[in-house]
Amino acid sequence: MSRPVLVLIALGSGGLLTLMVLCNSTVTAQAGPVWGSLVPHATGTVAAVLALAVLGRVRGEGTAPGWAYLGGLLGALTVMLSSVAANTALALSGTLALGLVGQAGFGLAADRWGLLGMPRRRATWRDLLSLGLILGGSALLIFGAPR
Amino acid sequence: MIAPILMAVGAGVLIGLSRQVNGRLSLTKGALGASFWNHLVGFLALVLAALGLWMRAGGPLLPAGLGEVPAFAWAGGTLGVVFVASGSWLVSRLGAASTAMLVIAGQMVSGALIDTLRGAEGAPLRALGVAVILAGVALRSKG
Repeated sequence: MSRPVLVLIALGSGGLLTLMVLCNSTVTAQAGPVWGSLVPHATGTVAAVLALAVLGRVRGEGTAPGWAYLGGLLGALTVMLSSVAANTALALSGTLALGLVGQAGFGLAADRWGLLGMPRRRATWRDLLSLGLILGGSALLIFGAPR
Repeated sequence: MIAPILMAVGAGVLIGLSRQVNGRLSLTKGALGASFWNHLVGFLALVLAALGLWMRAGGPLLPAGLGEVPAFAWAGGTLGVVFVASGSWLVSRLGAASTAMLVIAGQMVSGALIDTLRGAEGAPLRALGVAVILAGVALRSKG
């Protein structure tokens, strides 16, 4: 698949995330943070089973290591960490901004060293400039938002 | 102040780490299969967390507010399945940094769009932020 198509899919995935956060924070407002994460995980499990039944299962090569099944634990932990941090002096904006820094830093390290069995990639100067622009623009949106 | 900062940065690191882990699983199980395992394992962990909280605090097992959740909000899990599947699929094709930065860009720009549609204040600064982000996306769009 060509790179511009992959880029569009990634942007669309981010748009999906906005809608997902809107849904899940609405559940959290009514039922608290644990249920705000439990409800989408429960309905998501059912949705994934239905989708696999309709679309069929994919069988790749070899077997996955045991730790590869534990991504869901990290997701559940993320919800708890960020909701605790958002209730400190950092507030939601500071938590969001620092979370973006964490994502960027991890992404660079993961590519540089090929962490967790994924391919290695060296970041070019163009990649780093792009990273700076996206983080900078995000900071403008996060800290410039009316509150 | 150090602890909250570490937690907030740590949450971002965990987002990347879980995408990387799910990406590895998708090589064997497919992107949708990885998304299924992500949701099932997270669900089981959260059930344990909810039971633990209930045993400590007592009260009703299901929070009273659950019945008040508007219908649209129940779609979050289905959106999450597509989100996790797409992230697992993208990370093995674009790499971790590009996937993270482009998903962030999509999230930020769509959020700004929703704010604008809602008539929130601060439109000029928002437009500037979106323009800077899109410049960053354009730089990353060439092979």
